[in-house]
Amino acid sequence: MIRPQPMIELRRLFRIFGDTRAVDDVSFEVNAGQVFGYIGPNGAGKTTSMRILATLDLPTFGDAFVDGFSVINDPDRVRRRLGFMPDDFGTYPYVNCAEYLDFYARAYGLVGRERHRALRHVMGFTGLDRMAEKPIRGLSKGMKQRLCLGRSMIHDPSVLILDEPAAGLDPRARIELRVMIRELAAGGKTVLVSSHILTELAEICDQIGIIEQGRLLATGSVADIQKQFAPHRQIRARVLDRVADVAQWLSQRDDVSDVRVDGELLRFSHEGNRLQEAALLKEMVQADFVVAEFASHEKSLEDVFLHVTQGYVQ
Amino acid sequence: MTSDLSVPRDDAQADAATGVWSRMDLYLERAGEWLNPILVKESRQALKSKQFTITFALLLLCGWGWSFLGTMVGGRAVEIVYGYYWVLAIPLLVIVPFSAYRSLAAEREDGTYELLSITGLNSRQIVTGKLGSAILQMLVYYSALSPCIAFTYLLRGVSILSVLLILFYTFVLSLSASAVGLFAATLTKHRNWQVLISVVYLCALLLVGWIWSEELVWDLLRYESIRFDNPETWVANLAIVSGFGAGILMTIVAAAANITFASDNRATRLRIVMLLHQGLYVGWMIYWYVKEQHGEWLLVMSCFGAAYWTLTGALMTGETAELSPRVKRSLPQSLLARMLFTWFNPGAGTGYVFAVINLGVLLAVGVIAGTVGKTLGRSMGYFADHYAWFSLFLWMYIAAYLGVGRIIIAALRRFLHFGLLLPVLIHIMLIVLGVAIPMIIHGWYYGFEFYERDYSLLHAMNWAFSLGIIMDEGVEIYPFTFGVIAIGSVLIFVVNYFLAIRDVEQVRLATPQRVQEDDREIHPERFLEPRKPKSPWDEDD
Repeated sequence: MIRPQPMIELRRLFRIFGDTRAVDDVSFEVNAGQVFGYIGPNGAGKTTSMRILATLDLPTFGDAFVDGFSVINDPDRVRRRLGFMPDDFGTYPYVNCAEYLDFYARAYGLVGRERHRALRHVMGFTGLDRMAEKPIRGLSKGMKQRLCLGRSMIHDPSVLILDEPAAGLDPRARIELRVMIRELAAGGKTVLVSSHILTELAEICDQIGIIEQGRLLATGSVADIQKQFAPHRQIRARVLDRVADVAQWLSQRDDVSDVRVDGELLRFSHEGNRLQEAALLKEMVQADFVVAEFASHEKSLEDVFLHVTQGYVQ
Repeated sequence: MTSDLSVPRDDAQADAATGVWSRMDLYLERAGEWLNPILVKESRQALKSKQFTITFALLLLCGWGWSFLGTMVGGRAVEIVYGYYWVLAIPLLVIVPFSAYRSLAAEREDGTYELLSITGLNSRQIVTGKLGSAILQMLVYYSALSPCIAFTYLLRGVSILSVLLILFYTFVLSLSASAVGLFAATLTKHRNWQVLISVVYLCALLLVGWIWSEELVWDLLRYESIRFDNPETWVANLAIVSGFGAGILMTIVAAAANITFASDNRATRLRIVMLLHQGLYVGWMIYWYVKEQHGEWLLVMSCFGAAYWTLTGALMTGETAELSPRVKRSLPQSLLARMLFTWFNPGAGTGYVFAVINLGVLLAVGVIAGTVGKTLGRSMGYFADHYAWFSLFLWMYIAAYLGVGRIIIAALRRFLHFGLLLPVLIHIMLIVLGVAIPMIIHGWYYGFEFYERDYSLLHAMNWAFSLGIIMDEGVEIYPFTFGVIAIGSVLIFVVNYFLAIRDVEQVRLATPQRVQEDDREIHPERFLEPRKPKSPWDEDD
């Protein structure tokens, strides 16, 4: 079977500034139509590796590929296939939204009807059609992000790199952005997106990569990473009497760990499947503990992230 | 170009455009598709910017005010046209070039350049787009003042050709200054350096503008000193314009090379332009020698040419010898192509040989022209007998100094990472020390007074003293010293030539399959038939 060509590939990528290894031996692949979430604290190396992919910086060692083209040797071919949305972008004075997008459409070589179609599509997709004549400097943060997303997709690239697209957005704008990213992936685009808001990435990403201090600590689907790094399920139980005794009883069990008491609430990790959880509940009731509530869930991405990064979030 | 973009045109609307103005608008828009996108964007910005509005309004007001004042006081046509010139010169020689500089520098400071650089525009299009925008602004200013210029012609007393020539050269000067400004904007990304460069650039603009306006334009208008009926006037103008054109071309190519991506070939285009410079220079050198029959002309031109190749050689020997795989994909392959075109490849070794060979050709042409001229009885001046020796030793000194500099730079590159500034400084230091060290040693032992009789082996590295001796006396009176200089220079040249073999040995790399596939998609017509060599130096991949 022929292995599909990954749309994004980082191959032993290093970026060293003086004594600092901003990116330290990072490798991963993203296939066509996937959304890859890039997670890491500030200064972890997300933006540096994204800038290398966007051909704005060069790796010290290693190489990165977009649709099979090297960012070092064929940046012109990479640029044709790639849309980049930086976390912060400058704008031109005296230019409105339509003129801004029109300029980039021309800069990407779109002419005539093709350009008009691209403009119509992008303005409709990002909801900028009502703001066409508004000067960019008067736009809200959310609208600026939409404009920047529109700019990055004006030439219909197959790969989109979005650096912190949700930063500074209100909840509604975040939800809208999430929907747009899913729509782009559904349309066959490969998306590499970084964010601090981990729940957001968990919902939209097919795969995630956790990076800290330049090193990629984990990659895979959210479920795989949760299984790999947090095999225990979290259980929350409300006990109406003898809470301390229950905690003591639980702590003595081999399949329970990390027991925490918070008033009537007990939180602990349990190693076992749903059936074994049910058996545990039964044992608790048989031991005459007054269990009023018992719920279990997998560890959240935040928990996994903290676990993987050893809690050294800056 | 300024069509309404608020609602992007849909296809049916475009087809249904009726009426003269709608059709005209459509045609203009289609024409606008062919313009550089940066020109379109900057024109839109400029039309809305306060700076342009204020400058343009002030220009009109000053033009009208000067017309009114000039008519009231009954000024002479020459004075009135000089007033108009000043009204035009300030925006053209200061505001437009400085705006061009700021336009590119601001893109780099504000972070918009990064977004621009990853579009389909290459670095050359970015630079020429900015230059095109500057030209458009110049044309707008010219058109605003053209009625006033026409008015002065009606007053008589001033030659229209003089006025047109002044306006033309002001345009050329403005264009050159804008190109230099764009080049200056590409030199650094750091804000502190940009501030320093902007101050220096602004001062240079004011100085050049003042010298041109006060010293040349006024004299041209006042004395009507140009003889337009003499064909040589036009040839001289052609020479000046070709010089400016070659300079502007080099500046644009250099600016584009500064901002292109790292793996791109930055050297070859620059070397092609240098070769063009060489061709133009040699052509004009011979033309004026034949025309004027003065041997001094050959000597002066040879010295300026030597300075040019020393400077460009200093820059080229500062290049790194590492070729990116991208560059290696397009290296010449056949024996003939490698012999002829290898010297255009990036690298310090090829750069050294390129500079030294071109300098040799320039000096040899001068010597041949001088010898032929002398045979035909033309004056070669007092140095006629020593011109060939002078040229030979000038070449040897430059080959030796560039060679030593190149060896030092190559050694330093093993331990340090640096750009082109340090190599240039190393070459300057060598050239200065070459004169200073022997003089200091001589002065230390014999006193700081120098006569021709003091010349000795100690001064072998003192190029200034040695060339002066050759010019006055020839090489015969110090055969041993000049023999040592010749042997030393040839040795340094040979060492550098062999060191350049590493650059020459680079061979073409196969184009990756993915790139070939992409080329097939973009240019299917090129792959319809099996590729055949188009010339003796073209080989199959």
